[in-house]
Amino acid sequence: MNNLLSIPKLPLNDWVTNGVNWLTENWSGLFNAIQNSGQSLMDGTTAFLTAIPTPIFVIALALLAWFTTPKKYGLPVLILLGLTLVDNQALWGDLMQTLTLVFWSSFIALVIGIPLGIWTSKSPKAFAIIKPILDFMQTMPAFVYLIPAVAFFGIGMVPGAFASIIFALPPVVNLTHLGLQQVPEDLVEAADSFGSTTWQKLFKLELPSAKPSIIAGSKQTIMLALSMVVTASMIGAPGLGRGVLSAVQHADVGAGFVNGIALVILAIIVDRFVQKLNTNPVTTVKLPKWRKLAAWAMVLIMVISGAVGSVMASKQAGKQVTLGYVEWDSEVASTNVLAEAMRQHGYTVKTTPLDNAVNWQSVANKQIDGTVSAWLPVTHKAMLAKYKDKVDVLGKNLTGVRLGLVVPDYMDVNSISDLNNQADKNIVGIEAGAGVMTAAQKTIDSYSNLSGWKLTPSSSGAMPAALDKAYKAKQPIVITGWTPHWIFNKYKLKFLEDPKKTMGGEESINTVVRKDLKKTNPDTYKVMKNFKWSQDEMQSVMLDIQSGKSPEQAAKDYIKTHKSQVDSWFK
Amino acid sequence: MPKVQIKHLTKVFGKKQKAALKMVKENKSKNEIFEKTGSTVGVYDINMDVNEGEIFVIMGLSGSGKSTLIRLLNRLIEPTSGQIILDGKEITHFNKKEMLDIRRKKMSMVFQNFALFPHRTILQNAEFGLEIQGVKPAERQKRAEQALENSGLLSFKDQYPSQLSGGMQQRVGLSRALTNDPDILLMDEAFSALDPLVRHEMQDELLDLQQNVKKTIIFITHDLNEALRIGDRIAIMKDGQLQQIGTGEEILTNPANDYVENFVEDVDRSKVLNAESIMIPGLTINVDSDGPNVALHRMQEEEVSGLVAIDSKRQFAGYLTSDAAVKARREELPLRDVMMDMPKVKPDTIVSDIMSIIYDATTPVAVVDDNNKMRGIIIRGAVIEALAQTEGDGQADE
Repeated sequence: MNNLLSIPKLPLNDWVTNGVNWLTENWSGLFNAIQNSGQSLMDGTTAFLTAIPTPIFVIALALLAWFTTPKKYGLPVLILLGLTLVDNQALWGDLMQTLTLVFWSSFIALVIGIPLGIWTSKSPKAFAIIKPILDFMQTMPAFVYLIPAVAFFGIGMVPGAFASIIFALPPVVNLTHLGLQQVPEDLVEAADSFGSTTWQKLFKLELPSAKPSIIAGSKQTIMLALSMVVTASMIGAPGLGRGVLSAVQHADVGAGFVNGIALVILAIIVDRFVQKLNTNPVTTVKLPKWRKLAAWAMVLIMVISGAVGSVMASKQAGKQVTLGYVEWDSEVASTNVLAEAMRQHGYTVKTTPLDNAVNWQSVANKQIDGTVSAWLPVTHKAMLAKYKDKVDVLGKNLTGVRLGLVVPDYMDVNSISDLNNQADKNIVGIEAGAGVMTAAQKTIDSYSNLSGWKLTPSSSGAMPAALDKAYKAKQPIVITGWTPHWIFNKYKLKFLEDPKKTMGGEESINTVVRKDLKKTNPDTYKVMKNFKWSQDEMQSVMLDIQSGKSPEQAAKDYIKTHKSQVDSWFK
Repeated sequence: MPKVQIKHLTKVFGKKQKAALKMVKENKSKNEIFEKTGSTVGVYDINMDVNEGEIFVIMGLSGSGKSTLIRLLNRLIEPTSGQIILDGKEITHFNKKEMLDIRRKKMSMVFQNFALFPHRTILQNAEFGLEIQGVKPAERQKRAEQALENSGLLSFKDQYPSQLSGGMQQRVGLSRALTNDPDILLMDEAFSALDPLVRHEMQDELLDLQQNVKKTIIFITHDLNEALRIGDRIAIMKDGQLQQIGTGEEILTNPANDYVENFVEDVDRSKVLNAESIMIPGLTINVDSDGPNVALHRMQEEEVSGLVAIDSKRQFAGYLTSDAAVKARREELPLRDVMMDMPKVKPDTIVSDIMSIIYDATTPVAVVDDNNKMRGIIIRGAVIEALAQTEGDGQADE
């Protein structure tokens, strides 16, 4: 390749990486403080919201909507029906988590954004500097914000909020600026001619004039924060987004729709309540006093019931454990089984679905206690190399795992060397960060007959869907496959022989925990070390989930039938 | 000592001020200066005194710098050079805080488009100036209500500006300015956005008000009639420079230069006057389609006692007096039967010829073109005025 100016490629990537690393190392104190205080603030908010009994929450909110807009029944009815539906779908907890995340992200974005908008409207210089930054922020794909967010704050609510704030900030700044710019010139002159100070002008004329614009900007900001919920769930932000993401990874249309509709209901309710603030004094009829009082009473009922509920709920929970996992069917099975077993033995377990790379990073940074999803020695080779000094590998929890390129048995190829131009020279893969993808890429590079082949990333859920489509049409397809996996039970498939062993030989799934777990939490450490089961057992749980059981239920059923084995983990 | 003295006041907008000022001295036009330097000369070397309690009118066409001048007085626009002296104190170098105090206590402004705050009620608008000064709510409300009562708007105090007519809004603007009890009222084309009738009314009100409050009022307008009605003294501006200051009478009788002369619509005496140049638009009534009630209604509205009658083809037909219309209504006759004849002249008939016609006529004279289309009417006063002016020029017309 001839370079345009024959200058060497700029190490931009390294510069950014080094910059972020420098920040992470030198500012870790600040970041940790923010992470801890932010986490406890959000946990507190969620605890408070979930402590309000659902019926009281729904009815009080519906009445609040009705008291604040007489003669309009749309919103109260939507609140009653919509929130009842969410609760009926067992998503209430997720909804409250999402509400917490959206509330704090929007709140902080507005607290930063509105003053920025005021400043840029007063100072052309500030606007000249901030405007390009805002444009940059607005056009940068939201995913990019997740990377430094994890580096700075690890996983969970705080990095999710951090990314949401950056992503959602621009509209409120832009529209505040615009609204203040559009205050009619003669009104500004009038305010000046009566001797208003800058502040008096701002509060008595400019902000009231710009209010509709500021509210519109705030609404956009809140909606963007809401839309970030799904993206932020990739780095462990809990809530409805996690359900959507997991549905995407499993190609589960129904679950995706249910979580999505819950988000839509939340979005509409929030939007309508914010819209209420945007009143035109000329056309608005003043609310009668009793309605105002009644509305405040509803707010008070919610606050009191929340406070009472949180006090009652704050009785000390058991030992806390956080497990990270990747949204692969195998890992959903194993993590749920272990989590359920630990719960039955008095632990409080949080499971967090994460991208593979983030999962390893979180163990290394002691963000989570451990994971039972480490595929070694080949699949996660790169991860282990990167973090081996920072994690504690406890050993195998499942053996006899195999990775490879997989084809339906109606195709007449048996070895990777036999491939030439089948399936459009395309291998259907899973998430780009997964270990099996690294191995597959290496395979393409080492087999000469695979030159010109390409590897298409998708997701663990989309890959079986693609397989299903091809299989039904008897079309050729090559996938990155691994056992244990339920597709081998559902379809007639075969592994392609791998003479060069680039896809790895026999592998095992391992348990990896954070470096200091043995010291700080020996009981958990012991359980994690003891956790072992077989490929058949895993397969049965996977099949249960595949045929429609919830992961928790499948895990419970497994524990019932294998009681003695499960108990042995806790000895 | 004059209330306000202005000495060598100049304002140039833009960057190359020196070059622009040099070109002004060379008598270059505003456009030329802008093309060359990209700077605009707002006002240039203004010198004038305004006395206590007078209504001082500043006139000029748009772009003459009159609005800039009024904003220089309370320093909403910062002067480039020159001095503004208020009560013997030069305020050109007052700092921000002192200037706020001047604006709060001494000067209030009324704007062409009222500039009322749409999100505040009438009362909140009226008390704005006092609110800015930090006067206690009860006190400022009382004073604002007093000002609103003086302009007959107290019953609207809880409404919003958008719910009021233009005339009412401007009364609120005036009340807002007066609530502060300032020494000086700056009025920037305050009545230009109102329709002519309301405008007339507001001018009367302002004159009545002036009898009671005796403020110093600096009033800007581009309308000569308005200036002559309310101004004690008038200053005429062109391209940012002052042309003449004087009473209305002085300006009409001794215009300082050609510009002023043309501006006050003084007729060009070298030209022989004809019917077209002194006619005014006639008020018409269509005798084929309209009836006596419409005719009477229109006379009442327009405050006249007769209308020119035309037919459906807009051809001149005759003259309809109010008496005739009343008769038609009583006896249920069509208008055609009661209208009277009216002398007609062509547009190019000269004034001295019209004189003899109008002398005998009981009605105005109609000006119609060759196709008998109505062009306008001539009233007695216009003819006399025209002749008086030509006589003054020594062109006796006997």
